[in-house]
Amino acid sequence: MKKTRKFLLVVVLTALTMFGLTIDAHAAKVPNYVITTDATYPPFDFQDKNNQYTGIDQEILKTIAKREGFTYTLKPMSFNAATQSVSSGQADGVIAGMSITDERKAVFDFGTPYYRSGIGWAVKKGSSIKSLSDLKDQTVAIKTGTSGADYALSIQKKYGFKVTYFNDSDTLYNDVINGNAQATFGDLPVIQYAVKNGTQLKVMNAKSPIQAGWYGFGVQKGKNAQLLKSFNKGFAAIKNDGTYDKIVAKYLGASAATFTGDKKANNSVIGILKANDSAFLKGLWQTLLLTIVAIILASVWGILLGVMGVSQNAGLRGLSTTLIYIFRGLPLMVLAFFIYIGLPSVIGMKIPAFTAGLVTLILNEGAYTGAFVRGGFEAVDRGQMEAARSLGLSYGKSMRKVIVPQGLKIMIPSFINQFIITLKDTSILSAIGILELTQTGSLIVSRNSQGFRVWAIVAVIYLIVITLLTWLSNWVEKRTRA
Amino acid sequence: MTEAQNKVKVHVEKVNKSYGENHVLRDISIDIAANEVVVMIGPSGSGKSTFLRMLNQLETPDNGTIVVDGFDISDKSTDINKVRENIGMVFQNFNLFNNYTVLENIMLAPVELGKMDKAAAEKKARELLDVVNLADKADVSVNSLSGGQKQRIAIARALAMSPDVMLFDEPTSALDPEMVGDVLEVMKNLAGTGMTMIIVTHEMGFAKQVADRVVFFESGKIQESGTPEQIFNAPKNARLQEFLSKIMHA
Repeated sequence: MKKTRKFLLVVVLTALTMFGLTIDAHAAKVPNYVITTDATYPPFDFQDKNNQYTGIDQEILKTIAKREGFTYTLKPMSFNAATQSVSSGQADGVIAGMSITDERKAVFDFGTPYYRSGIGWAVKKGSSIKSLSDLKDQTVAIKTGTSGADYALSIQKKYGFKVTYFNDSDTLYNDVINGNAQATFGDLPVIQYAVKNGTQLKVMNAKSPIQAGWYGFGVQKGKNAQLLKSFNKGFAAIKNDGTYDKIVAKYLGASAATFTGDKKANNSVIGILKANDSAFLKGLWQTLLLTIVAIILASVWGILLGVMGVSQNAGLRGLSTTLIYIFRGLPLMVLAFFIYIGLPSVIGMKIPAFTAGLVTLILNEGAYTGAFVRGGFEAVDRGQMEAARSLGLSYGKSMRKVIVPQGLKIMIPSFINQFIITLKDTSILSAIGILELTQTGSLIVSRNSQGFRVWAIVAVIYLIVITLLTWLSNWVEKRTRA
Repeated sequence: MTEAQNKVKVHVEKVNKSYGENHVLRDISIDIAANEVVVMIGPSGSGKSTFLRMLNQLETPDNGTIVVDGFDISDKSTDINKVRENIGMVFQNFNLFNNYTVLENIMLAPVELGKMDKAAAEKKARELLDVVNLADKADVSVNSLSGGQKQRIAIARALAMSPDVMLFDEPTSALDPEMVGDVLEVMKNLAGTGMTMIIVTHEMGFAKQVADRVVFFESGKIQESGTPEQIFNAPKNARLQEFLSKIMHA
């Protein structure tokens, strides 16, 4: 028992130290900005074969930062989360192939427009669809919050198609290729890059982008004027000296293999594993760290909720029931978005994604834990409490010495089940940009378009970890029975 | 209450208890002296178990006064845990702590409440196991014991706190017939040591043999009380007569 306590302490301290170090590192450098970006938006934003974030946006930003003497911490996430993080003040700037629109101008201040783009639409290679009118009663896949999505919605009635939403481009393309959806609307250069990269799509309007417009670097409206000024100054300079043209040519002119790795490495599971071993390991580590810390803290919180739930005090019982009701009722992703994107604008404090994810898991898994802990305590025979009280033991002592040990034993199978659910639920947190195993998989697929192999690898890793976790839990269960 | 010099151990005055519409105890008053052995009899649902459980406040009365060992336990400011340390209780279903061994069951309260250190508590526990003839069961899990053994351990557990009142709530009702004798034997020996005992039971033979006083409960009231002689041989109350004729023919 003492050893276990020591172990828990070490894990919690390690986690806390890690947060602490991140914060210190930020404080040391001036000026350092937090810039968000779309994690899967080639050729503007994506991870290259060395797992470095690169693309037209990233090279422009890197070059300008160097010239103008500022540093930044890059936070890759979904496009939606990237823009919302900035509009809610969680981050300082966003560069994510974001089109400048009037609607966005109400929320963001944009730097000098840096790339002229437009909307393109594409269908599966060999599809019989020839024009927009062929889309009647078909399904169109669009990416949440993009200009392509807005445009598709604006013509949806006219052409009579259905829409389905996605958060990352690769899943979206695969949906069209697999035939679940028949077409997609998106930024033309992005679709073209994907096609060049081997995605089996056909661009329908390569030469005539719809609603041609400009991409811009955005900051929260009225904030970060200095950052915007630096960006504009740097951008004017690289436009003048030809660096900008070189960057664009590098991405739109070069063959895809330059960034995605050679075909051989992507053609086998082993090749993919070898090429991405450090990425998979990092992702796995984040998943494990989230799982372990969340399991421990959610169990502590859940047991507390359960003890409150069987308390003699009606107020505490009510509080426990209410907390369990709320946090068991909220979908995990809604809770994550609420804490990560919603809360900071109200409390005026940034919440790091890892912390937000951890709090989300603790509240959600803790509520489920609280419910079965309460049930477990209630399942202990009433006579046990009466016998303990009749000997003169206080309520608290009777709980600790008699009811809790017996209740916990009843709950062991529920705990094991909850641990496995917690591990799996960490994958939902990829939505707020935590680079855990699932998000790592998304990034690799967006680069090499090897959906089947990469997701098979990710699935097997999860199964291995879950098997180990189950073995460990069963071993603990056996030992407590003996 | 024949000898006036006997100290009053339990004083109960005008106690009432209702569960909703059901009035289970009506104006109960009784005094029990130190060293007295009182046996409560009566049909099921007559209120005798509820009454017993009030004496250590496992049930709270709606009104009336209960004084045990000089502590008014119907007064909310009384520290009930302190009073309970001196009142042992034995339950129909034993209620041994399933998460401990036999020895740990007996040692738990004295150690946790700071009455003894572990060594002293263990010494006392082993002595008590001798008293209930289960010295060889010290280290087994309670789930491996028979009902009769469990109940004797439960008595030892209560005695470990050196109480000066013992409450027994139908201690033999959940036992197989062949186990009953061992438990009653232990209780008889305990009565012989001068322990104040209040016992709810259906064992009429035991009541005749051991009780100083027998109290007959019916419909939430004490209908009659007296020596075993008076109660069993010359019952006055009509309901008591009816009750006795039923159980004697059963």
